[in-house]
Amino acid sequence: MVNLTIDDKQVTVPRDATIYDAAKACGVKIPILCHDKKLHPFGGCRMCLVEVEQMKGRLIPSCTTPATEGMIVKTMTDEIVKARKLVLELLLLKHPIDCPVCDAAGDCDLQNLTYEYKVNSNRFTDEKFNHAIDYDNPLIERDMNRCIHCGKCARICDEIVAFGAYTFINRGIEAKMGTEFDGPLNCEFCGSCVSVCPVGALNSRPFKFKARWWALTKTKSVCSYCGTGCQLTLGSKDGKVLTTIYDENQGFHNGQLCTRGRFGYQFINSDKRLTSPLIRKNGKLQPASWEEALEMVTSRLRAGKSDPASVAALATARLTNEELFLFEKLFRGTVGTDNIDHSAGFAHEALTVGAKASFGVAASPSVIADVQKANLLLVVKTDAYETHPVIGFEINLGVKRKGIDLRIVSDKKGKLSRLPGAKTLVHTPGAETALFNALCRSVIDQGLAVEDAAGLAELKKALTDATPEKAAAVCGLSAAEITALAKDFASAEKALIILPIGLGYPGHGSALASAAANLAILTGKIGKEGCGLLIMGEKNNSQGAVDLGIYPKSTGLSAQAIIEACALGNVKTLFVAGENPVVSYPNRAKVEKALDQVEFMVVSDLFLTETAQLADVVLPACSFAEKSGTFTSLGRRVQMVRQAIKPLALAKSDFEILNAINSALGGGSFANQGAVFAEIAASVPAYQGLTQAGLGDEGAVLPVAIAAKLVPVAGEAQPTFAGKLALVTGSALYHNGTMSRFGEGPMYVCPDGYAELCVADAALLKIAEGDLVTVTSGAGSVSLAAKVGKRVPQGVVFAPYHFGEGSINTITDGSAVTWVTVGKK
Amino acid sequence: MSSAPAEEIPAEEIDLSEANHIIDKYLTLPGNLMPVLQGIQDSYGFVPRPTIDLVAERLNVYPSQIYGVLTFYSQFHMKPRGRYIIRVCVGTACHVQGAERIVDTFFGRLGIGHAETSADLRYTFEKVACLGACGMAPLAMVNDDTFGKMTVQKVDEIVETYNQRPM
Repeated sequence: MVNLTIDDKQVTVPRDATIYDAAKACGVKIPILCHDKKLHPFGGCRMCLVEVEQMKGRLIPSCTTPATEGMIVKTMTDEIVKARKLVLELLLLKHPIDCPVCDAAGDCDLQNLTYEYKVNSNRFTDEKFNHAIDYDNPLIERDMNRCIHCGKCARICDEIVAFGAYTFINRGIEAKMGTEFDGPLNCEFCGSCVSVCPVGALNSRPFKFKARWWALTKTKSVCSYCGTGCQLTLGSKDGKVLTTIYDENQGFHNGQLCTRGRFGYQFINSDKRLTSPLIRKNGKLQPASWEEALEMVTSRLRAGKSDPASVAALATARLTNEELFLFEKLFRGTVGTDNIDHSAGFAHEALTVGAKASFGVAASPSVIADVQKANLLLVVKTDAYETHPVIGFEINLGVKRKGIDLRIVSDKKGKLSRLPGAKTLVHTPGAETALFNALCRSVIDQGLAVEDAAGLAELKKALTDATPEKAAAVCGLSAAEITALAKDFASAEKALIILPIGLGYPGHGSALASAAANLAILTGKIGKEGCGLLIMGEKNNSQGAVDLGIYPKSTGLSAQAIIEACALGNVKTLFVAGENPVVSYPNRAKVEKALDQVEFMVVSDLFLTETAQLADVVLPACSFAEKSGTFTSLGRRVQMVRQAIKPLALAKSDFEILNAINSALGGGSFANQGAVFAEIAASVPAYQGLTQAGLGDEGAVLPVAIAAKLVPVAGEAQPTFAGKLALVTGSALYHNGTMSRFGEGPMYVCPDGYAELCVADAALLKIAEGDLVTVTSGAGSVSLAAKVGKRVPQGVVFAPYHFGEGSINTITDGSAVTWVTVGKK
Repeated sequence: MSSAPAEEIPAEEIDLSEANHIIDKYLTLPGNLMPVLQGIQDSYGFVPRPTIDLVAERLNVYPSQIYGVLTFYSQFHMKPRGRYIIRVCVGTACHVQGAERIVDTFFGRLGIGHAETSADLRYTFEKVACLGACGMAPLAMVNDDTFGKMTVQKVDEIVETYNQRPM
C-alpha cells in the first residue's frame, strides 16, 4: 500500500493504483475522456492532467502515472484548468458540435466537460472533418466526424471482445478510427464500442432520434436472454423500452453486454406482441376477454383435478422465480399432477440428474468469479462463447490479461480457439462423454487422482476399458493428446471446467455432466476458488427453474413423455407457459402432431408462436420489462428484475395469470409477487433467509453444500454412417432460445438458420456460400442456406436451432448427433 | 469477413507461396508483423490484399490492426507500384535550388502526379522531404540510383534512359 495526498486529502491505495485511481478512492473527481476502468490505461486525451509536487515543471497524466509514497497531488489549479481548456478547444476544433441532433447529448463526456470548463469560444479555426458516415449496418452508426480519437472502441473490441474490428488508420491529422480496409463495420455487433464511446461518434441506430437521454426513465434490471444474468439498465419513455443504457458499475461484467442484451430489447415493444387473449372458435383463434379465457382454463383444470394424470404443464425457464414457484404450486399442489417440466426435459438434465448425482445438489459448484481465478480453463465446445457471450468476454479477459491456459474440447473450432495460446482438441461429434471418461482414466493411470474421492473404486472398475488408447479411436484424437490434457488439468493449481447446456445441445446431458464432474472431483478441483465445474444453463432463469422443481419429481412425465402422452391421448389438458416446443423440442413433426391431438392446450406467451397457433386458448403474457421478480443465473446468483413499463395492451404477467387460476381452483392467492418470494425464502432451502429488498443491486449468491461423489457413466462410441455427415446443432451467436427472433437487432444480423460446412465438404458437394441446400435425416428434411468456412471439421455440419422457418428440429430427434445428407437444392 | 469493393482485389490470382515463406521465416519472432509486411512489400513490390488476409490468419493478428499499421507507415503500399520509383527531393536545400521545376518537368514528361503510378506500371513518382544529400541539390533518385545537380535537361535524359530499361 502507498500513502499520498490528493487535494489535501490523505489516501492509502494499493501499490498498482494510478493517481487517477487514488483520487477516485478519496472522492476527488478527475475528468477523463479516454480512460475506462475496464481497459488498460491509454493516456491519450490529456484531460486528466494533474500537478504533482515531486514532479514540478510539467503536468502529469493521472490515468497512467502510478501513485507513489508521499506524492502530493493537486487536481485543480489555474494551470491545470488552462491546460484542460486547451485540450477541449483542440478537440472542438474539428468536431461538428452538432449537439442538437446528436443522440449522445446529455450523456456526452465532451459536451459535459465543455460545459463544466466553460469553453464558450475557440481561439483556433480550422476546417471540420468531412468523413462519410457509416450507415451500412442497422445497429451501429459510425459518424467519425464526432470522434475524439480516445481509442476506447478499438481497445474494448480487442481487450474484452477479442474481435478487433477497429483500428486507428492513417496518421497525424488524417488519422481516424476505422475498420479493416476502411470498409463498413462487419463484426459481432455487441455494441461494446457504442457503450464506451464518450461522444456521439458511435450510436445505437435502433435508438436514433427516439428520445433525449435525460427524458428516459432508467430502470435497473437483468437481461432476459441467456443464463449469464447480466445486469442492465432499461431506458424507457411513454410505456416503451427504447434502449439499454450502459452503466459501468453494474454487475460482475461492469455493464458489458452482448448483442442480445444491447440490441435485443425490441421484442418488448414489438408490434407482433399478443394484445388480447385468444380462444379457438370454429377452428380459429379469436380475441376474447380475460374473464372468458380464464374461465375456460380454470374449468378445464378444475375437471382435471379428479384425473391429475391427464393434466400436464410445460414452463419456460424465462419466467421469474416467483412465477415458476406459483406454476409449481398450481400444478403439483392444487391440480396434483407431477407431469411438469421445462426445456424439453433434457436441457436441464445436466443439473437435475448429473450435478445432483455428482455433487448432491442440482447446481454448479462453481460461480462466475471462478472463471478469472482459474489457471486452466477446460471449455466443452467453443460454443460456450455463442451460448453465453459475456462469460466468453470473461474467458477472453482471463486468457489475454492473466495468461489463463485455455483448453477446449469441441466438435468444431470457434472464436475461443483463436485466443492467444488456446489449445483446441477437435473431437468426433458426440464423443464428449467418452473423452471425459478417458481423461479420468488417464488421471488415474498417471497417479494424479485424489486417493480418498468417494466412489473411486467403482469408477476405476467402470473405466477398465476407457483407456486413452481405446478412446482415441472413438474421439478421433491421439492417446498422447488425451494423456497430456489429463496431466495438465490435474497438475494445474486451479482448473475449471465450463459446460454450456441447452436445447441445442442434446448431448450435454446428465452423463456428460457427471463425466466432467468426475474429472474435477478426481483431480481435487472441487470446493476451491477458481476450480470445479460451471454448468451454464441456457435461459435467464434456468437455474431458478431447477431450484423450484419445474421437472417431474416422482412418477410424473418428462417433457418428451408429455409430448408422447399427448399423442396417445393420455394427456388431455396441456398448459404451456412460454415454451415453444414446436420449434425447440426434437422432432418437430412428432411434436406438432401431438399438440394437434391434445384435447385442450393453453399457451401463455408474448407472441403467437408456432406452438400458440395450435392452442385452444392463448393468454398474452408480459415480458421481463413489464414485471418485477427475481431470476437465478448460472453460478446461482439471485438478482432482482424490476418493472420498467406497464404491461402492453391487455397483457398480464404469468404471476397474475397463475395466481388467478390458482385462487379460482382454491389453491390460495398471493397479494403480489413479493409475497411469493417470501414464500420461496420460507420453503426452498437454498433461498432461506433471502428478501427481495436484501438482494439490492448486487443480488445474492445461493449457498451450496457439495457432497462430491464419483459417478460412473457410460461413454459410448457414436455409430457412424458412411457417406453421411454428422449434424450438430447449437446456438448462433446472436440468438438465444426462440425469443430472440422477435428482437430486431439479432434478426438484422442473423435472420435465418443456416447449415455450416467446411470448405472441403462444400467443394465435394459443389456447394458455395449462400446456396440453398437440403439437409435430410431419417426424420425429415429441411432447406437452409449454406455457410462455408473453416470452423467445422470435415464430415460435420453445424446448424443453429432458434428459427421457426426451416427449423432444425424438423430433422433432429434428440440424439447428440444426427446423421444427414446434404445436397444442393 | 471483410468487404472491400471488388475492384480493389487484383483480377489475377496472387501466388501466396512467397508470402508464406516470409511468414515462416519470422513466425516465432516477437513483434514479427513489421518484418513480415516489409518482406512482403519487398517481394511483391506492394502488399497485396490476399497477403494481408494470410498474415492475419497465420500470425493471429486482426486484419484491422494490419491495415492500421499499413496506413500508418508511408513505407507500405497496398496498390501495385511502378517498376521504377522516381523520387525528387523538395527539402529546403533542393527547394532553393529549384526542385519544383524538376518536379513539374517530371509531371509533364511522365503524365503522372505525386504518388501516382503510370498505367503501364513502369513509373511511380514521389515528392519527398529530404533524401539526405543536400550537397547535391537538387536531387532525384530512381530506385537506388542517385542523380545530383538536376536540371530540366537531365530529366529528359533520365526518362529516355529508363524508358529503354526492361520492365
